[in-house]
Amino acid sequence: MSRRRVLALATRIVRQFRRDRRTLILMLIAPILVISLLAYIYRGGTHHVSLAIVNGDASPVAAQLVAGLSDSQALTVKTMSAADATRAIKQNDIDAVLTLPDNLSLTGSTPQTLTVTLEGSQPNTSSAVLNALNQALPTTVVRALNPAGVPLKLNPVFLHGGPQFDQLDYFAPTFIGFFAFFFVFLLTSVSFLRERIQGSIERLMVSPLSRAEIVLGYMLGFAVFAALQSVVLVLYCVYAIHIHYTGHILLVFFFTLLLTIGSVNMGIFLSTFARTELQVVQFIPIVITPQGLLSGIIWPLSSLPGPLRILADLMPLTYANEALRGVMIRGDQLGALWLQTGVLVGFAALMVILAASTLHREIA
Amino acid sequence: MRQKGNKTDAIVQADQVSRSFGSIVALEHVSLSIPSGRIFGLLGPSGSGKTTLIRLAAGALSPDSGTIRVLGQIMPNRETTAHIGYMTQAAALYPDLSLRENLNFFGALYDVPTGELRARIEEITSEVGLFDRLDSQLQTFSGGMRQRASLACALLHRPELLILDEPTVGLDPVLRRSFWQRFRELADQGRTLIVSSHIMDEADRCDELAFLRDGRLLATGSPDALRAQTGCQDLEDAFLALADALTTAPSGERR
Repeated sequence: MSRRRVLALATRIVRQFRRDRRTLILMLIAPILVISLLAYIYRGGTHHVSLAIVNGDASPVAAQLVAGLSDSQALTVKTMSAADATRAIKQNDIDAVLTLPDNLSLTGSTPQTLTVTLEGSQPNTSSAVLNALNQALPTTVVRALNPAGVPLKLNPVFLHGGPQFDQLDYFAPTFIGFFAFFFVFLLTSVSFLRERIQGSIERLMVSPLSRAEIVLGYMLGFAVFAALQSVVLVLYCVYAIHIHYTGHILLVFFFTLLLTIGSVNMGIFLSTFARTELQVVQFIPIVITPQGLLSGIIWPLSSLPGPLRILADLMPLTYANEALRGVMIRGDQLGALWLQTGVLVGFAALMVILAASTLHREIA
Repeated sequence: MRQKGNKTDAIVQADQVSRSFGSIVALEHVSLSIPSGRIFGLLGPSGSGKTTLIRLAAGALSPDSGTIRVLGQIMPNRETTAHIGYMTQAAALYPDLSLRENLNFFGALYDVPTGELRARIEEITSEVGLFDRLDSQLQTFSGGMRQRASLACALLHRPELLILDEPTVGLDPVLRRSFWQRFRELADQGRTLIVSSHIMDEADRCDELAFLRDGRLLATGSPDALRAQTGCQDLEDAFLALADALTTAPSGERR
């Protein structure tokens, strides 16, 4: 193993891609574009939610409020006792509980605060509840005759998650992993295919370069771009679109890098089965799209039907997503993510072996 | 002088080498030895097995049966590759890198000492007339320039053995002549060159020749010896005479 040879290979890859401006820009812009689109969709969306109202007071104003909220298109309203409501929200039968205080009166001058308890684990539902209430409350307040214009404030209480936590916070961590996985795979398999087409692989094979050095050099070269992409995407998510973020940033890069090692070698391995660049693109619906759909990026794993669930459990991206979510949302340490780490290390090792064996076939 | 090419100083020694690709037999029981310090020409029409033999010697392929030794080591062997300079038919360099970047890359692979590499790159590119294009990307090069770049790359680490697969194909006569002058200089420095060609008028520039056809070795020897053997003044006629002899006596002629 010669460090000089490995570095020469890594440097060459960096040089080539630095020159390929369009690919480089795409690698950085595409994820940001997609996540911005999702931000627009999810942070502006409406959602039908079921709301329980606990109304111990039965004051005329409270009755008017219940009637007004019941008229709202976005809400399904039931009145319940406090105990029933608590049980219902824990069983996920309802999305939120609005508790009306005793002696609710809008005639005084003190602002009134209404407490909303949100289940909170599905962020888009939480934000939909708050959106619907914020839209419905002003009209119902007018109907409840509020001549003094007493402000009515909502006080959200979350059973899980937090007030800033929404669907995008749930997506964003997985996007960092997904795009690193996707682009590194695409770039490696195309650039390896080019080595074959232009015949330079033959020059490498008859040089003192060993298979281990080829694998390592490629990994190192592409890790540079995967790291650059992750840094840009993490910074954009945290500072530009304010993604919820509690974990250790180095762990995010650690898991991205682990996934990248698997991805580079998968690219080397699969490029053996492609004769043209178009054929490389044809691998995307086979190896990338199913993982994008089933690994829990958009639909939670628990919502998948049985056979698909098994498939999802076999996908490396599933574990990368769990790990990245664990780090960014729950602030998990490495110790809590040993299963995910183990699976990703195993995936990387398997792909290294497969890649090295195809390089062996290249010689023989 | 030509009798010097005995087995003791053979730099390449092929022994009953066969290689097939699927059902196509590319090389069948080829035995030959290539003496060092000479220009050894591999002559034959396309599809005769020249490239297969060359790739076996370079270590890019393993034989199905038989052995091929380079510098005493059975190929493929990674340690031996450091002493070989290999020029493939295609330029096989990185078109999106400059000539200097390409040579830096291969210089590092072959462990040309870092302190010497820059000077060596400038020296070798001056020799092939590409010094002023060192910092241009290869995709801007013409075919002849690419071939010169490829030759520079094969020579960069001063290999003992140069294996050149049709190095002059597509070159204009002026450039072809300068390539052959360069080959002669290298042989005079004691390096061994294996040069494949399907152009018979290049055969006379070689010290030793091997005629290949349909994966079989027709004959080996110096151009004069082959002329004497066949009684033909023209090497092309000599080749055809040997090929005819093979087809009229298909099975018994092998050794």
